[in-house]
Order: sequence, then C-alpha cells, then structure tokens
Amino acid sequence: IFFLKMKILLLVMLLCYSFAFSSGDTTIHTNNWAVLVCTSRFWFNYRHMANTLSLYRTVKRLGIPDERIILMLADDMACNARNEYPAQVFNNENHKLNLYGDNVEVDYRGYEVTVENFLRVLTGRHENAVPRSKRLLSDEGSHILLYMTGHGGDEFLKFQDAEELQSHDLADAVKQMKEKRRFKELMIMVDTCQAATLFNQLQSPGVLAIGSSLKGENSYSHHLDSDVSALYYFMNGMYITIGVSVVDRFTYYTLAFFERLDIYDNASLNRSYDPRQLMSTAYYRTDLYQPHLAEVPVTNFFGSVMETIHTDSAYEAFSSRISNSKINADMPLDQHPEHDLKENLQNANNPNDDLKNEKQKCPYTQMRADLQEKLEKLENVDTMVNLSIAVMVLVVIVSSSLL
Amino acid sequence: MATEKRDDKENEAVKTDDGSPKIKPRPIVQLGIFLIAHSHVFSVVFSAAGIMALLLLPLLAKNTYISENALMPGSARSMLSHRDVSDGSKLVKDIKNLRLNHEGQGVEVQRLIGKYMSEMGAEVYYQKFHPEGNQFHPLHFFSGPDSYTLLGNVSCASYGVNVAGIIRAPRGDGKESIVLVTPYDSTNGGDYEALSLGIASSLFSLLARVTWLSKDIIWLVADSRHGDYRPVAAWLSEYHTPSFKASDLSKCDELNTSHSFRRAGTMAAALVLKVDGRSERFEDTLSIFAEASNGQMPNLDLINVANYLAVHRQGFYVKVEKVVSLLSSTWLKIVGELFEAVGKMAHTLNPDWNFGIPAADYLEGSATLASSLYSQALGIPTGPHGAFRDYQVDAITLKVSPRFSPDNTARQHEFFQRGAQLLEGTIRSVNNLLEKFHQSFFLYLLTSPGKFISVGVYMIAFALLVAPLPMVAASLYIDGCNALTKATHNPAENLKSWKWLDAAKQVLALHLLGFIVTLLPYFICQVPGEHSPTNRSIMWATTISSVLLITCVTIPGCSPFSSRLHGTNWAVLKSVTISAAFIGLCLMSIINFATAEIGALLLVPMCLMVRPIKPDLRSRSVKSLLRSLCSMVLVTIGFPVMFFAICKGLIGEGLVGLSLGGEFWTWLESLWAWKSATYLYIGMVHLPCWLLCLCILFHPS
Repeated sequence: IFFLKMKILLLVMLLCYSFAFSSGDTTIHTNNWAVLVCTSRFWFNYRHMANTLSLYRTVKRLGIPDERIILMLADDMACNARNEYPAQVFNNENHKLNLYGDNVEVDYRGYEVTVENFLRVLTGRHENAVPRSKRLLSDEGSHILLYMTGHGGDEFLKFQDAEELQSHDLADAVKQMKEKRRFKELMIMVDTCQAATLFNQLQSPGVLAIGSSLKGENSYSHHLDSDVSALYYFMNGMYITIGVSVVDRFTYYTLAFFERLDIYDNASLNRSYDPRQLMSTAYYRTDLYQPHLAEVPVTNFFGSVMETIHTDSAYEAFSSRISNSKINADMPLDQHPEHDLKENLQNANNPNDDLKNEKQKCPYTQMRADLQEKLEKLENVDTMVNLSIAVMVLVVIVSSSLL
Repeated sequence: MATEKRDDKENEAVKTDDGSPKIKPRPIVQLGIFLIAHSHVFSVVFSAAGIMALLLLPLLAKNTYISENALMPGSARSMLSHRDVSDGSKLVKDIKNLRLNHEGQGVEVQRLIGKYMSEMGAEVYYQKFHPEGNQFHPLHFFSGPDSYTLLGNVSCASYGVNVAGIIRAPRGDGKESIVLVTPYDSTNGGDYEALSLGIASSLFSLLARVTWLSKDIIWLVADSRHGDYRPVAAWLSEYHTPSFKASDLSKCDELNTSHSFRRAGTMAAALVLKVDGRSERFEDTLSIFAEASNGQMPNLDLINVANYLAVHRQGFYVKVEKVVSLLSSTWLKIVGELFEAVGKMAHTLNPDWNFGIPAADYLEGSATLASSLYSQALGIPTGPHGAFRDYQVDAITLKVSPRFSPDNTARQHEFFQRGAQLLEGTIRSVNNLLEKFHQSFFLYLLTSPGKFISVGVYMIAFALLVAPLPMVAASLYIDGCNALTKATHNPAENLKSWKWLDAAKQVLALHLLGFIVTLLPYFICQVPGEHSPTNRSIMWATTISSVLLITCVTIPGCSPFSSRLHGTNWAVLKSVTISAAFIGLCLMSIINFATAEIGALLLVPMCLMVRPIKPDLRSRSVKSLLRSLCSMVLVTIGFPVMFFAICKGLIGEGLVGLSLGGEFWTWLESLWAWKSATYLYIGMVHLPCWLLCLCILFHPS
C-alpha cells in the first residue's frame, strides 16, 4: 500500500510540474526554424522563386543552418531553358547577387509542393518514410519563420495552379502546431495579393503575421529585368506594365533591409514599409503576439542568435556564465531612420533577460534548473505548496479508505 | 392570325366539352403562339434589328489585350547587335551580285542562303517540290491537307527548291519549334523581296547565339516562283506526313537533297515575313494578314503581340486590310455621324456612357470590318500563313513596306534592325509560352489592328437576322394548312401532319439538284481540251439547265413549274423553303460565320418577301404591285452571279455580258481550289433556296 501511495504521490508531483511548465510563455528560446514556400510554377512566375530564394539567402546568412530550413520551390527557374543565365537566379537587374549559388538545399520541389505536404510539414504528421531533412522538427522553444509567396486572393493562396490553401486551413495548422508545442513564436510573412486576408482566421497566441497587401490590394512585382524578361502583372483584367518579375516589391524592400544587417545587428521588427514604394499597404497582425515589435530584434526570427556562454575551460561548466547574447553593435547605416535601435538587452528594464542570465546551462542540470526557475518565478509558491499538500492529503485519505 | 385564334378557341371549346379542366398553356408556349401570330411585325423588327446590330459592330469593338500571362511581350531587351545586322546586309548584297552575274540561275541563290545559314550554325537542308497547280478535288472538302498527290511524270524543268535552316534550342527539350518563313522568288523577285531575307538573316544570326531559346527555330526560305502558298504547303506536308517513296525529283538536279529533310518539334507559331512596295506613309508600314482557309483565324494573342511590339517598341504604322471604296461612301458616313451624335447625346445625359466614337473612326472601323468579313467569307487564305492553319498552327503574315527605295543602303541598316527586333520580340514572346495558344479568342473580327469584335457580340447580329425565319415558317404553315383544308373540303383526306410532304419533296429535289450542280465543275474540268473560263461557264449553265429540265420531266410532282390542279400550296412550299434556308444558314454559321452572315443578308429578305406575283399583278393595287416589284428585285439580287456582278460594280470593276460569266467561273474555281466551304454553301444552300424562291415567285396560284 505504501508503495502505491508513493506512486500516486509521484504522479501528483509530476502533474504539478507539468502544470507549472505549461503555464505562461516562459519556455526559453531554443532554436530557430524557417519554412520558405514558393507556391507557383511557370517561367512568368520567376519572381516568386526569386522572392523565396532571397529569403533563404537571408536567413541562412543570418545563421539558420540548412537542416533547420525547409525550402519548398514549385518550379526550377534556374534550369529553365528560357533562363538566359543558366543555373542562376537573380533578384536584381544588375545580376550581382546570384541567389542560386552554392549549397541551396531544396527540400520540396516541383510537384511535391502541395497543400497536403505543406500542412504535413507544419503539423509534423509525416509518413514514416519521410526523411528528417524534410521535417520541421521544432520544439516548444522554437521560433519559426514561415514565408509564403505566390498568387493569392481573398483568404486563399494558390498552390501550383491546381489547389488552394485557405486561411482557415492555415489557422487550423497553426493551432495544431500550438497544441503540439511545435513553436514558441511563429512569424508568418506572406507576399501575395490580398495577403492580409490570409491571417483572418488565426487565433493561436504567439503568432506574428506580416502581409504585403491589404484586402483588395495587389502585391506588385518590383522591377523588370529585361534580360530575364517578364512583365505584365494581371490585375482584374487590366494590365499594368510596371515590370519585374524578378522580385516582388515587398520582398525586394525586405531584402534590401536585411542585406544591410549582419548577425550582430539589433534592428527591431518594427520597421515600416513605404506604401508608395510597395504600391500596397504592408499589414501587421500583432494582437496575438505579446512583445512590442520595437523590442523584438529581427534576428529573433530571421537569424539564429542563441545565447552563448563563455566557459574558461571546456568541462568546468559552472565557473563563469557571461552572457554575451546580443552584442550591441552600432547600426552601420544611420541614414535609415526606420531602424529602431534596440536598447541594450542587458539593461535592467528587461527582467526576462536578467532571469535568463542566471540560468545554468549545463545540459545535465538543465531540467532541474528549469523546474527550479519555474518554481522561483511563481509568486504564490506558498499557496501552491499548500494546495499540493491539501491534494496529497485528500488522495491519501481516499486511497486509504478504498483499501 | 385570325385563323390561329379561331383554332385556339376551338381547342379550348373541345376541352371544355370533354369536361376536363381547362389547362392554361405554359408561358413559353404562349409566347411562341404570340410570336407566330404576329410574325409579320416581328420579322420586320428582327430583320431591321439584325442589320442595325451589324452596323453597330464597329461601335461595340473592344480594345485588344494580351490574355496569356506567359507571353510578356516587350519585356526583354533586344539583343540584336550591329554584327547581326551587317550579316543580313551582306547576304542581301551577295544575292544582288549573284543575280547580276547569273541571270536565272535559281539554285545558286538557294545555295548561297544555305551557305549563310550553315555558317551561322544551323542545320540546313533543301527540299524540292512539285509546283503543280491546285487540282479540283470536290470530294476532298474538309479532308486533311495531305491530299497532294504526285502526278506520274513530272518534268525536271519546273520544280521549286525550299531552303530551311534549324537552330536547336541549346537547353530546350526539342519538342517545340517556331517557324519563320520568308517567301523569295529567286528568278524574278524584286529588290524589296530580298530585303525580307536580310531581316530574317539578321534575326537568325542573333538567334543562333542566344541562350534563352526553349523552342527550336526554323527559318524557311520558300521558293515563291510558283506562288507564295504552294511551297509552304509542300514543305508543311513533307514535315508532317513524310513520304517514304523516292521522289522523282531527287535525280533531277545537282543539288543533293535526298534523305536530308530535318524536323524540329511541334510548331508553336509561325511568322511569315514579306517586304514589298514603298510605304505611302511617312513611317514604315506593317500590314498584318491573318485569315486562313474557311475564315479560320489564328489566336488573337499572336496578332496582339506583333501589334504591340510593332506600335510600342518599333514605331511601325500597323494596319489590317480594309475595303477602300467604303471609306468614301456617303451613306456610311451619314450612319457614322448619326452614331456619333447619338453617342454625344448619351454622354451629356450620363457621363458614364461613352459608347460614341467619331464618325471617321466609325468609317475606318466598318471598312476594316467589311474587309475582315469578306476575307473570312471567301474562305481563301490571305497569305502563306493559311497553310499553317491546316495543321492547327497559329500563323500570321507580316508585310512590311519600307519608306525608302531598296537601293538606299544607308536606310537599309536601320530598317533591318527594326524589322529583326520586331521579329525577335515576337519570337521571344512565343518562346515564353508553355502551352499552345489558347487563352485568347479564335473567333473574332478585326475592326483595326488594336480592336476586335468577339464571337459573343457578332453572333447577335446573325441571330437577330435569322430569328424571323422559324416564326414565319410556322405561321405560313398554319395558313397553308387551313387553305388546303378549305380547298379539298375533306378533312379526313388531309392528315394535318402530312401536308408538308409534297412541298418537302420539291425542296428536297431542288437541293439534290444543288448537290449535282456543286459537283458539276469537277466533271466539266475533266472534259478534254483547253477551255476558256467563259466557255466553261457556258457549259456549266447548259448542263444545269438540262439537268433541271430532266428533273422536271422525269419526276412528276417535283416539278416546280407544273400547274397541276392540286399542286402544292405556295404557303406550305414557302414555309418548307424557309425552314431549309434556316437550317442551312445555321449550319453554315458554325462552319464559317462570315459566309453565313452575308448569306443571311441576301437570303432572309428574299425568303421573307417572296410570294406569287400572279395574284398581285391581277389585283393591280399599288401595294401589291410594290410588293411584287420588291420580291422581283430581291430575287434578282439573290442570284449568285448577279450578286457577284453587283459586288464587282461596288468595288469599281464594271463587268458585262459573257465576260461576267467567265469572271464568275474563275472566282468559283478559286473557291473550289482553296477548298472553301463557301463554295459548298453557294451550291447546296443558296442556289436551291434561290430556285425555290423563283418557284414561289412564279407559282400558279
């Protein structure tokens, strides 16, 4: 009987632990993932592939490794016979930046890019045979960047000229991800026509959504590369000869912003897009996202900036714990006022960071440390303990009366 | 009308006698009865509306737009260099020198072109073909285009040699190709014709070195000594249906052409380039020809791309054919001004109504529309591009008229550059295509290079025009049946549903006659000996008359002119005639809309107006005399030969007497030779209907 009681006690303790664990967004940021999707085929949609590859290049440059990037490209523009520059993809007419350089790992290509596969990647419900490299193996501490581009409309995004991803499909997948604890923070960035409508059904907390255009607006291509050749953006039966097709305006300016950053920059997410440049209005949906955008560095999603701990010697873990997480580098380009300089993160006005600084990073004690931290953070520890004791007493009485 | 109403009343009475509840007919049935009862009024209204809609068409024309996303014309920068252009200039100079030195040495020019092509890195081959004239094959209508049969012994004296070069797309899959055709007459082609070779050669030199080709490029220099069409058709026929028999021509000449015919993939599009005559305008002029056999048109996108690039990139003055004589016609001008005034008035009433166009635009539009209708109705292709349409390949002919004389070499360079850039842009657009042309329209009429009328709009005019036919037929049938019932005084003998049988027999006999008439020219052509077209037309006329006589004599009851006591009632005959005309016109509108439209303009008033003149003449009232005169005039115009003469007169070529017959015969022969469905229409729909109208006109009632 005693043995059984012990077991029940253990069970209750575990329950308490998990309750404490799941309450609040206190999970630490462990890793960064990126899912980059280009949903359209055909040569005249060159710009969509260039958009995606631009983002791919950026996140990779800012530190997300290839095994944590799921790249989905619906067509192969680089090897298209119409491409004047074989095996190269450019997002600019000056052809300086080859986006299709070395080490582009495409995880889903061509006809593999379907709504089904996309949802499987998000929700993690794969068949057994799917290799790890094609899975989004994120955890509850992951920051995920989900970038999608293609042809969209009111609450849908077209995949491959054949199917559509609807806004409630997306919202459902995100909800499943949340429930399965597949992310801590999720940023969805969509560059399509009427991109904002795609976020209408989102409900899960921790989701930040940025779209290139509002409902009823088109997302325009940036400029025309006469060598790569593309033009004519279709809009309600009218044609506007603005060109590109090598890249869309939203992504172009996003990329122009990122190209000036390096891994140590602290530019915040709170940057504004000029509607005149975009010819559409960029849309932010922040109501599901707790932190203020001005306080969130872009590297939160676009890079993989972890806190690193200096140790004097390799195996003496507890000797020193200097967090040099965010080096406050000067902004290299002061002429861009839209960059919000991030305050020094080691300032006292950010209690979260202070807490983090005290953390022990030894992997063996991680679990215990976390638990300890959780317990420390609970303001009403006493009530919690009292409650637990009361429950234990109750359980003991019930079990003993049963026996 | 009155009888109909009485019928209705009787029916109702019967029903109420039976005691069954009175069933109210459905609304649609009621509407039908109403329309039939007032068929006279409605036929006038509908016909007038039909003609009105036809006149309104230039107003309803929409601006063309590029429908296919993949085309992206004009987005790419031209890569044509001066070296390419000087290649072209050099070829033209060499050809000129060659022609000065070797007069009449045809093959030399082809060799030279072939040499140039292979120097550029293309695969070159020569194709010999028989320039046999178009044969009369009446039974090959609607058959495939591969009906060119080789005649037994062909002399080596006259044959044509095509030169073709293929550039393979460096990274393409080799399954598709784009064809560029330059017809060139090596013996007596003018200097202007050589310029087209210069443009094509400049372009070819460029395409041989570019990396963006996804489709192979074929440049065909067609030997146009025997016409533009035939060499292209011969080449296409060989391309698609290879013959495995050794041609007689292979041993004819020193040019070794055997076993070397090369192919690329399916043709995505074809462009025919011609240069001729000096432009009358300040700019270089580009004329676009698109009509293929039986009024088939290439996809509108192809015309749009060429038009867009020519206007917005190269600054050509683009035009399509128009009937020039219409531009100076007074009545059309008045109509145009009327529409303009109405449009302005509507604009003042509501600023959103902007359908008015200036009278000058209207005049231009209708002249172009008339030409478009005429070329489609004729069913004869307006250039070598017609041969491609037979293989479902979209093709257009671009005829460029430079504004300088061909000796001016200074201007020549710039001209080559612009021509080649236009073609480069068009080819690059087609190169971007992923599928066949399918987005834009295939059924349309052009009112200017940038405006078109789609099938949905122009069908309305035709539908309004033919709508009275079934109404009047039904109304006449009811009238005729009542008259017959009265005449025999024995309702039991005249089963109501069989009354039309006599009339139908007659109609059928005349349609059979029409069929025979249609086949006749074939047999006349088999008559040995040389005959002038006039003689042939006389032979044709006599044969027809004799056949008509034989029909009348041998088949009693079918004779249209027999004056038997119980002959068919003319009203029933007219009813069946109108039904036949209706069916014929509707069938034709599916095959070739333009023919049906023009045919309806002739047939519908004739069929509606015609009635026996005997009682009208007897009554001697002004109204009936006018009526008979009207129907006489309409029937006269309705005779195909007469209409042909009137058309010629309108264009300005007066023809009288026997030469008219000859002209008409040549015209018919050309229709036949080009396998135009219009020929079948004239023989099997129009002529029988006209004969039937004649029967009704002289009906002894």
